[in-house]
Amino acid sequence: MTPGVLTGGWEFVWAAYGLSFAMFALYVLSVILRWKREQHL
Amino acid sequence: MQLLAAVRKDVLLQWRLRSRSLAVFVFGATVLLLFSFAVGPNAGALRQHATGFLWLAVLLSSTLTLADTFQSEMEQRALEGLLLLPASSAALYYAKALVNWLQLSIFGLSLLPFMVMLYDVPLPRVPALVGIILLGAAGLSAPGTLYAALTAQAKGRHTLLPLLLFPLVVPVLLGSVRASALLIDGDPMEQVTSWATLLASFDLIYWSLCGLLFERVVED
Amino acid sequence: MRGPLPFILIGLATLCLAFGSYYGLFVAPPERYMGDVQRIMYIHVPTAWAAMLAFVWASVCAVMFLLRGTWLWDARLEAAIEVGVVLGLTLCLQGAIWARPTWGVWWDWDPRLTTTAVLLVAFAGIIILRQVVDDPAKRATWSSVATVIAAVDVPIVYFSVTWWNSLHQIQSTPDTVATAFHLPLRMNAVGVLLLMVGLMIARTRHAQLRLQRELADPVPNQIPTATIAAGGTE
Repeated sequence: MTPGVLTGGWEFVWAAYGLSFAMFALYVLSVILRWKREQHL
Repeated sequence: MQLLAAVRKDVLLQWRLRSRSLAVFVFGATVLLLFSFAVGPNAGALRQHATGFLWLAVLLSSTLTLADTFQSEMEQRALEGLLLLPASSAALYYAKALVNWLQLSIFGLSLLPFMVMLYDVPLPRVPALVGIILLGAAGLSAPGTLYAALTAQAKGRHTLLPLLLFPLVVPVLLGSVRASALLIDGDPMEQVTSWATLLASFDLIYWSLCGLLFERVVED
Repeated sequence: MRGPLPFILIGLATLCLAFGSYYGLFVAPPERYMGDVQRIMYIHVPTAWAAMLAFVWASVCAVMFLLRGTWLWDARLEAAIEVGVVLGLTLCLQGAIWARPTWGVWWDWDPRLTTTAVLLVAFAGIIILRQVVDDPAKRATWSSVATVIAAVDVPIVYFSVTWWNSLHQIQSTPDTVATAFHLPLRMNAVGVLLLMVGLMIARTRHAQLRLQRELADPVPNQIPTATIAAGGTE
């Protein structure tokens, strides 16, 4: 890795944001679905 | 004194079960051997990581000894009876923890010759090394005994105990491995004392905290 | 146990995160040395703050349950541990994605991330403990005890890993964003925090409902004779 300015790397940026939002969205879905299921038990 | 009586009882119990201790020792020696096979006949690498292997063997074997800490109490349903007095829960905890400490220390010491032999490691500072083994074993014993009491009452105890214990004792592993390695390889910057202090602090904190919390773990 | 509060919070969180991330991704300029990869910080730092808060809150709930013994604290603990684990896992994965282009390795034993990883495994173990224990009282007490024990360990783990690393000069992840553009950072921080609180409220309510079900009187296993005589099954 050359010292100095890092160029590019957008694929990592997309990966980080994509992964984070995917995890958040899936977890939100999971919590709401399990909560609703418990409400109707 | 209640504590001494409890310790005496447990030491006698463990002595009667010494064949089990022998089995754990053989397990530990086997683990050390397996690490050699995993790394390969590379004398330099084996020597460099010898203390890491030693402490991993101790950690893995500790789950075997710790899991059965309260086995006899559970079998005779004596756990409830022993706890009629609030003072007795602390005595029970410390008695069991002390016996576990003794067992783990003896176990660690007994593996030292194997470490020397398999990994070609010198032992220049034996008393200090014994001290580190005692400190490390104490760090495993305190939370290990508490979780042994917990998991003895739960299902899936043999997976649950290591699952709960291992993340917790990362500082003990780090400190013991580093301190042992420094004692064997040489310690130009006098770091052993600092690692030993870390271990001692962990031990102090957890021997107090687990003693306090033990009552809640065994109450009905 | 119903009520729209969690949904409102999650909705607001989505807006904040959308706006903050848009700004951080497309409007803010690239950083001087790290270039565009720096933009990961606009989501990584807020996640770190939220994960830390979740674990602190879990510790508070554990202590409160041990002191007060009310089921509400157990429900809150259950929510806090789960939300904390999800945030912590996301944090570690973000850290790896950031480290790869920056340091060339997926994991560089940064003390903060390493401590998070250890804490993550510890808390995941507590989740498993909760699933294995059926008795609600024991489950609550034991997971509170385990949480307190894990919480006390956090500074010790952090200190020992920091020291372990200092011998090898590991670079660590920056915890502040060294640019003048605080807007995306703050918007995302508010967003992730709102998301965390919304999730915790919903998850707590779920836990409360389940506790009510577990602690309720057992269902009578016989249909009342009057109903049978009348020919119906109610």
